[in-house]
Amino acid sequence: MKYLLGVDIGGTFTDFVSFNQESNAVEVWKNPSTPHDPFDGVLTGLEQMEQIGDVQRLRLGTTIATNAILQRAGANVAYITTKGFRDIPFIQRGNRKAHYDMTWVKAKPLVKRRHCYEIDERVDARGEVITPLDEDEVRALAAKIRSEGVVEAIAVNFLFSYLNPAHELRLKDIFLEEAPDLPISISYEVLPKWKEYERASTTLADAYLKPLVGRSFDSMNKRFDELGLEGRVAVMKSNGGECSFAAAAAQPVQMTVSGPTGGVVASRALSKLIDMPNLVTFDMGGTSTDCATIINGEEKFTTSFEIEWGLPIQIPMIDVRTIGAGGGSIAWIDKGGLLQVGPQSAGADPAPACYGLGGDQATVTDANLVLGRLNADEFLGGKMSIDASKAHEVVKKVADELTMGVEETANAIVQIANNNMVGALRSVLLERGHDPRDFALLGFGGAGPLHINELVVLENIPHAVVPVHPGQFSALGFVMTDARTDKQRTIQQTSARFDSDGASALMKDLVDMAVNELRGQGFTEELEIYRNIDLRYLGQNYELQLPYSASEFTEEGLADMWKRFHEAHEARFNFHIPGETIEMVNLSTAVVAPSQKPELATLPKGSGSPPQKGERNIWFDSAFEASAVYDRADFLDGHRVEGPAIIREVASTTVLCPGFGARADSYGNLHITKAGS
Amino acid sequence: MDPVMMKVLDSTMVSICREMGIVLMQTSYSTIFNEALDFSCAIANRDGDMIACAEFCPAQIGGMPLMAKSVVKEIPLDQIYEGDVILHNDPYRGGLHTPEHTLFKPIFVDDEIRGFAVSIGHIAEVGGMVPGGFCGEATEIFHEGLRIPPVKIVSKGKDNEDIWRLMLANVRTPRYNFGDLRALISAVDLGERRMKEIYEKYGVDAVDQTCNDLMDYSERRMRAEIKQIPDGIYPFEDVVEDDGIEDRQYKIFVEVHKDGDDIVADFTGSAKQAKGPINATLGVTMSATYNALLHMTDPTIPKNSGCFRPIRVVAPAGTVVNVDFPAPEVGGNTETHPRIAGTVIGALAQVIPHLSMAAEGCTHGNFVFGGVHADTKEFFACYDIEVVGWGGRSFADGNDACDSINGNCRVTPVEVFEARYPWRVEDWVFREDSAGAGKHRGGVGYTKTLTCLNDEIIISQMTDRHKTQPWGLNGGLPGGMGATLFMKSGSSEWQTAVQAYNKNSPSKFSNISIVKGDRVQLVMPAGGGYGAPPDRDPEAVREDVAEGYVSADAARDIYGQRGADK
Repeated sequence: MKYLLGVDIGGTFTDFVSFNQESNAVEVWKNPSTPHDPFDGVLTGLEQMEQIGDVQRLRLGTTIATNAILQRAGANVAYITTKGFRDIPFIQRGNRKAHYDMTWVKAKPLVKRRHCYEIDERVDARGEVITPLDEDEVRALAAKIRSEGVVEAIAVNFLFSYLNPAHELRLKDIFLEEAPDLPISISYEVLPKWKEYERASTTLADAYLKPLVGRSFDSMNKRFDELGLEGRVAVMKSNGGECSFAAAAAQPVQMTVSGPTGGVVASRALSKLIDMPNLVTFDMGGTSTDCATIINGEEKFTTSFEIEWGLPIQIPMIDVRTIGAGGGSIAWIDKGGLLQVGPQSAGADPAPACYGLGGDQATVTDANLVLGRLNADEFLGGKMSIDASKAHEVVKKVADELTMGVEETANAIVQIANNNMVGALRSVLLERGHDPRDFALLGFGGAGPLHINELVVLENIPHAVVPVHPGQFSALGFVMTDARTDKQRTIQQTSARFDSDGASALMKDLVDMAVNELRGQGFTEELEIYRNIDLRYLGQNYELQLPYSASEFTEEGLADMWKRFHEAHEARFNFHIPGETIEMVNLSTAVVAPSQKPELATLPKGSGSPPQKGERNIWFDSAFEASAVYDRADFLDGHRVEGPAIIREVASTTVLCPGFGARADSYGNLHITKAGS
Repeated sequence: MDPVMMKVLDSTMVSICREMGIVLMQTSYSTIFNEALDFSCAIANRDGDMIACAEFCPAQIGGMPLMAKSVVKEIPLDQIYEGDVILHNDPYRGGLHTPEHTLFKPIFVDDEIRGFAVSIGHIAEVGGMVPGGFCGEATEIFHEGLRIPPVKIVSKGKDNEDIWRLMLANVRTPRYNFGDLRALISAVDLGERRMKEIYEKYGVDAVDQTCNDLMDYSERRMRAEIKQIPDGIYPFEDVVEDDGIEDRQYKIFVEVHKDGDDIVADFTGSAKQAKGPINATLGVTMSATYNALLHMTDPTIPKNSGCFRPIRVVAPAGTVVNVDFPAPEVGGNTETHPRIAGTVIGALAQVIPHLSMAAEGCTHGNFVFGGVHADTKEFFACYDIEVVGWGGRSFADGNDACDSINGNCRVTPVEVFEARYPWRVEDWVFREDSAGAGKHRGGVGYTKTLTCLNDEIIISQMTDRHKTQPWGLNGGLPGGMGATLFMKSGSSEWQTAVQAYNKNSPSKFSNISIVKGDRVQLVMPAGGGYGAPPDRDPEAVREDVAEGYVSADAARDIYGQRGADK
């Protein structure tokens, strides 16, 4: 059982990485994805592996949950809530996506209003029951839903259940008695936090996914068995950890962002390996680009994800910012005569014009061809035929409209695309208060290495890294990850009045739940336990999260925590309010079962440059410049090349600008910095 | 003109404004900021022209240029120093209404002022006659809280303690006001820092030139859009139903003159100014006119002062659309604004119906209250915003429960509301058949019922559409009206403020004392319909009946759909 496998089902390709634990060898391959049944593509790729019986574990990144939500292909859900409040999923928050867009149409929730039911019960803002649960009403409702046979899953969200879950838990028990076949999601178990709409939306998403995900994983398990796969099979969660198929099916909302987390996990591992604690990741593909940060060696988490604008899913997940822009983004001229790039994308159909599949609009990929940054003969190692003249033709159409030269126009397209990417980088850096100068940019995905050098210049990032296997980097991350469970709970305490015993007991409860969940999945090793607290000034409504390492809230620990909050507020917002009461809002824990990590092989030492494989004219700024061509596979530890240059590999191309140099480290990662630095 | 630089700088400045907004949301104290998001952030040049803003509150954005110009007029540029922060809220100096606090921080590069970082926020408590700012029975501006002409709240990086002490001594919730003002200052600090980096990176001349190019570009795009509208003169009128003092209607009348790529909105013929607080300042009327036209043009045009250049506003002094000092005007910015914007949209709907919508509910509820919380013994004050049904459009139904177009605010969650204020929310439900019927129906309105848990809560309100319906368009029917109803403890009868408390108006009143067990019901208006109801897709009618938005009776009687049973 020597192989660890990572499989990433993407929009265009399914990527495979296998790691041989005996030889440290990494193999990567990809084959086309099969959107009608994504698991077909997985099996096709696995059939290429001869020693399938020798796989110790396989981890899968899947878009099954994401797609079910985006395509609205989930279950008929019933929503059960407190009397008087069945319209919360429809009222939402009342604001709109953009301030001057009268064409905007409000997002529809994942439930029909006719399937929303109210139960007589009420808990107040202190968690005290003011109206007991009407159990007869619950039983009658369960019977009605069961007999109608339309609803396939149940979502339950009572007001203030995060303070007192008794009614939700009791309702669940009654439904398990009366309608045992209906999957049920209760908000206390999905998202025990305040703000009823956000909790409703998250709980609805969970119930919406349950039947579909359960069925898919059952069928996948069977097919893996038939293939002879005996190792552990797991799926990637949005928090970057893995979990068993059974655990994922029990809370499918945890998988909303599964695939893109792999790139972040791999980046975290790389951050430690090459000792660069602050990274911003840039995963650019054909239609979308994902950005995230690694800060002090750790990935960042968020609870503000949205399915589409206005439909939040607030479970903790790796903070990946996705923008709908990539190599396929289309260039066009707006009514004011300004060149724009995207958000429309040529995608896989009709694809960029140069693919010759019928696309007749200029895309970023076409512009890169015109500029000589891509070479028509080298697409996917020469396996894909590309029509450079077609790229020239479509870019010329845009150029004529602008009365600009073709190359100047191609360059403008790339610059505007780069600026869109900068917007994404900015949203994870500056908008969160991070200075780009403290970071290195890590570029991967098919198109990331093409743009990375210009991006570091634009965003004042001093250092860029193109990792090994940039085209399959996410799948590599799956091989490297751990099992992880996150739990959170709202608590309402202040620095003026703090119940230490209560808070300690709640924290213990959360940790125990997370530990039991992992033990239940068969993890017997020692677990890593992390504790966090969310704090704010009394009166504020948003929190700063601080780590809290001790298991008990002692007097000294609290004093230190309040002090650290003032400091963190000053650091993040440039001010603090001395003497102000501080409110503790949420407790959370992350429990990790560390799994054995592959060690990447190191390269032999080299000196000088790898052999040059020719020369090519590449456009930078305002003219073509003769640029050296190198093969990535030729780089040894310490090899360095100077820009302008191109570094080729099968699934990607790295562009090195004039005035910059690239050096390979002992693992073969390329480090791009200003010449002479 | 460098198109690449323009695109880069525009998106960079918008993201700076967005970043400023995130800081405001995350650090402010009042629910009107952190839950409702009633604030805006912008960058202005030193002439006071707005060069960029982020997606926040349209009323504030349209009003920003005039405020910036009034600051520069009163404090000459050579008396503004690096590290200053200027505060301003005076409606009679270009401001919008007293709760709207605007902060300006100069951006200095090489000892020379280049522009301002600007944050505007609605501060819930401003002193004056009622807790929460909206005094429905005010008869002069002095009832509406503390007026602050442009003053330096921070001078060369140091708090101007005298100003702070004076200001905080005049409001009911000094701890909250302090927190909200600190958040507003933190936002302009950030905007200033980021803009300095931009100037350093690209150079002063390149940035200034590009900003001018951007304003020219937005102007060009607006003109191109305006050119598409057929030339002509288009009148339209609507009313504000009363002013809280006298029971009579106040006409808002507009004639939109469209000629080539220019637009003039002439409000001559609108009512004389009111005694009560429904008056709009010229700044509000200009902002409302801009708002209407920005809603009817391409939303991707960069939002800066260039957008406003093709638009002229004529509003005679002494009218509800250009009020004379010292009349009250707090509701002008929230209630009369959408009514003014609605008349401009209604006028142009005659020729560009596909870019129009029927009337939306046109109010934010503006339910304000305050008192001493029994648990904390601290004074609380809240400006509660409620949302309405939007009007039907040529291509879609009106959005259900959506903020009126002069704001872009969120409703406050029940769980936040009850944790903060001594009310119990009993229900929050859509009203069947409230939406104006039409080929595309209006958005649905809702009802929210509150029970008082405190010994006393003092409430006031400044709303409208309790006596007049939001209009339909092209054969669409008007939307359902709003109401505010009271059920006193021990009673079982719902009454209006006129019936229960002997007020002049059911929608505009001040200082009603609500005691433990009393109930208040806020009924929010729905949107008007677009197109004749019988033209509605029968499947859409059946779905509305199945979903409980339209009754079977209405489906039969208004839409002419038989068999559309639940």
